[in-house]
Amino acid sequence: MDDLQELLEDFLVEAFEMIEEMDQDLVELENNPDDLELLNKIFRVAHTIKGSGSFLNFDKLTHLTHHMEAVLDKARKGELKITPEIMDVILESVDAMKAILEYIRDNGDDSSPDIDIEPIVKKLDAIVNGNFSSSSQEENAGGINLDEITPDNLDELDLSDLSPEELDKVLDKLVEDMNTSPEEEIVEEVVEEESKEKEKKEEKETLPAKEPSKELTKEEQKKDLQKKIVSTKEQTIRVDVKRLDQLMNLIGELVLAKNRLIKIYNDVEERYEGEKFLEELNQVVSSISIVTTDLQIAVMKTRMLPIGKVFNKFPRLVRDLARELGKKVRLIIEGEDTELDKSIIEEIGDPLVHMIRNAIDHGIEPPEERRKLGKPEEGTIWLRAYNEGNMIVIEIKDDGRGMDPEVLKRKAIEKGIITPQEAENMSDKEAFMLIFKPGFSTASKITNVSGRGVGMDVVKTNIEKLNGIIEVDSVLGKGTTFKLKIPLTLAIIQALLVASQEDLFAVPLSNVIETVRIVEEDIYTIEGRSVLKLRDEVLPLVNMADIFNIEKILMPEKYLYVVILGLGATKIGLIVDRFIGQEEIVIKSLGEFLKGLPGIAGATIRGDGRVTLIVDVASLMKLAKDTHNKKLVTDSLKEAKKKKEKPEDYNVMIVDDSAMDRKIMREALKELGVNIIEAKDGLEALNMLKQNDIDAMLIDIEMPRMDGYTLAQEIRKYNKYRKLPLIAVTSRATKADRVRGVEVGMDEYITKPYTKEYLQNVIRRNLKL
Amino acid sequence: MGGLNDIIKKQQESLNKPQENKIEEEEQLVGFIVGEEEFAVPILSIQEIIKPIEWTRVPFVPDYVLGVFNLRGNVLPLIDLRKKFNAPSAEIDENTRFIVMKIKGEDVAFVIDRLTSAIRIPKKNILPPPETYSNEDDIIAGVGRLNDGRIITILKVDNLIKREEIIPERD
Repeated sequence: MDDLQELLEDFLVEAFEMIEEMDQDLVELENNPDDLELLNKIFRVAHTIKGSGSFLNFDKLTHLTHHMEAVLDKARKGELKITPEIMDVILESVDAMKAILEYIRDNGDDSSPDIDIEPIVKKLDAIVNGNFSSSSQEENAGGINLDEITPDNLDELDLSDLSPEELDKVLDKLVEDMNTSPEEEIVEEVVEEESKEKEKKEEKETLPAKEPSKELTKEEQKKDLQKKIVSTKEQTIRVDVKRLDQLMNLIGELVLAKNRLIKIYNDVEERYEGEKFLEELNQVVSSISIVTTDLQIAVMKTRMLPIGKVFNKFPRLVRDLARELGKKVRLIIEGEDTELDKSIIEEIGDPLVHMIRNAIDHGIEPPEERRKLGKPEEGTIWLRAYNEGNMIVIEIKDDGRGMDPEVLKRKAIEKGIITPQEAENMSDKEAFMLIFKPGFSTASKITNVSGRGVGMDVVKTNIEKLNGIIEVDSVLGKGTTFKLKIPLTLAIIQALLVASQEDLFAVPLSNVIETVRIVEEDIYTIEGRSVLKLRDEVLPLVNMADIFNIEKILMPEKYLYVVILGLGATKIGLIVDRFIGQEEIVIKSLGEFLKGLPGIAGATIRGDGRVTLIVDVASLMKLAKDTHNKKLVTDSLKEAKKKKEKPEDYNVMIVDDSAMDRKIMREALKELGVNIIEAKDGLEALNMLKQNDIDAMLIDIEMPRMDGYTLAQEIRKYNKYRKLPLIAVTSRATKADRVRGVEVGMDEYITKPYTKEYLQNVIRRNLKL
Repeated sequence: MGGLNDIIKKQQESLNKPQENKIEEEEQLVGFIVGEEEFAVPILSIQEIIKPIEWTRVPFVPDYVLGVFNLRGNVLPLIDLRKKFNAPSAEIDENTRFIVMKIKGEDVAFVIDRLTSAIRIPKKNILPPPETYSNEDDIIAGVGRLNDGRIITILKVDNLIKREEIIPERD
């Protein structure tokens, strides 16, 4: 009883929310009758209310919405133009829908004896059949029918819409009707109505109304329920989601500041090692960091709801559906306490309904067939939710007939979704993913059970909207498992930071399936496209630098680093040049001028104050597909390999403030035949380095403006110069000096005085001449 | 009471008058050099002027959009005016500045070679852009002649960048 009540409440909340939106959408539709997206949206609302209504056994509601849906379906297919007359009828049916829902809210069933939907249904039918004329409007359309009003059904009337005169009439009529019952009650009732009316205006929310019913027991029950609701209300506060969003934003700022603080602490720690105040600073930093994290989790939790809210719908759905299809199905639910962000909960319901319907419809075999196969007659569906890192995993598993990859491939070829060649190279897992392709779905029957061609591609789209991943596994004859992996929240995310050439990008960790290190030999070319063979899968492989047109300045190394990205049912391998690490990032907009850049979701500010772009995985996947068709990874890797063979292909920079020392080095290097560039101090050297293609540097330590140590340190900050040979040439010869040199990133340490040959040898060795 | 109101009125008048006169008569500008030319923008359009800081490149944008950078927790686009005006590019040096201006409610930073001065110029000394100027994108508001003979090009801040020029139209 309680479960059902909760379910009903959820249904009503959702339905009222949707209808409110629908009202706005309909009005907008009247202005843009050709807006297909809007039509689709409205259609889906009618469809959803029909669906939910039907499994809660609200026949009247289902009947009405079914006919509405038919009209809207025609309109969205372009077979019907929405004229103002037709819109009147649609709005009228929406009003009737509202009235029925209000009756349901107050009475728990949809008998609503005083709401007559037949005239509306007739009109809707007329529209569908094309013989609707505006003259068929009835006198009470949109208005209020006094005869239908009795004291018992007052609650579902929206009194706030009535004009004062109408209200008077209603009250007169009520008084008349009530004359049969004791007088005090009339007055009480009317007064109560009026005060309720005020309440409505004030808080737009009414408690289930008290009903002057004949059955005392029923009334008592209702009072209990009311009490329950009131008492739970006292313990909770309804908060506008906007306020929570604002709070989340503020915490985002705090997380950024925290990251920054940690970075600064690390710098300070290096510089003042062993100092006493560090201990204290460390304590402050860690406590701020812990509190920030806790605060973030706490606020996130205020937005969290148990997934049971969605799961609770399913036992009934499964039972009804199984009966309808003549199958025996048992549903096992686990992990309904697992919590998810509210916005995600709202999005996850529909995809799950689809997948469970699919499992019953296509997965589970009829009892006779199961018996023949030696399986228990009753099929089982497992619906399971659990946390995995920062993701929540929802698993839908059945022990039905499973999927045959060959059959799927054949069907996909028939429908022109893939070519026979593509099918040949397809792994089983990839074949399973075919069911998510638009146009693959076969069930086109229009029933209460299956939608109107709303296929698994919708599931995919919905999950992708949440940055989620779908995985499918199936064994023929044994069953199918779907895994939906969805990030817990959307505002502050865990990201993998990668470098493509010198540019850093943050990739949402929820879409990173794994990272692998490969060698060039692991890359295959199939049909002119680069792919990576990873265990039993063949993944498209793209260089991130090609996607974003980043200039290639780094020589490829022996190992290539690949991020395996997953979104919905798609996976690709993305070659990057370096993995930086995992970090918690706050998503910031790029502003009016730059938002919506292909492949970029926004930016984040890192601990060092720099801005790092966040990858929009969905958009990146699209870009990657284009790039994948256009460019081979092997070609792309060659672009950076400019061959240097002769000594004159090499540029060596001499950095020394003494003209004399520079001359000595210059003379020595001339004999080698390399090109020479000279700088007088560290700053100048740094500038020249950026403008020239330098292959090695000879660096004096003591120089004005910027000394050699600092110079080396600065150079090593750039990814590009990580491997640039830096050779210190100095008269500082103590062990401490050498250690310092190694610390800042010098490769060699030559002490003055040195022989010409020695210097030449060092240069030769470093240039591999 | 009447007396008090009168005083307040008078005060307000005296506060308003000179300002109105100034606005009518002269423009307050900030002058700066980009390439070989001196430009100016209205002083009120400037949010702040900062020394160059590190920025992050952004893909798929015209070359004059250098990227984005962090100004106290906000991510701002950075526009290179040299590139925008097709002047030869130059290294950033100690005179280089970022001018942050509000364009259509959004802060945007522009790289300039160096600041010159704050300028008060009578409106009558500002002439419409000469025909010879290429002013296709309606960037130039006018040309001002200063007392010392300098000629400055006054920019229309709102037209300096446009979203449709930056974001490639894709479907």
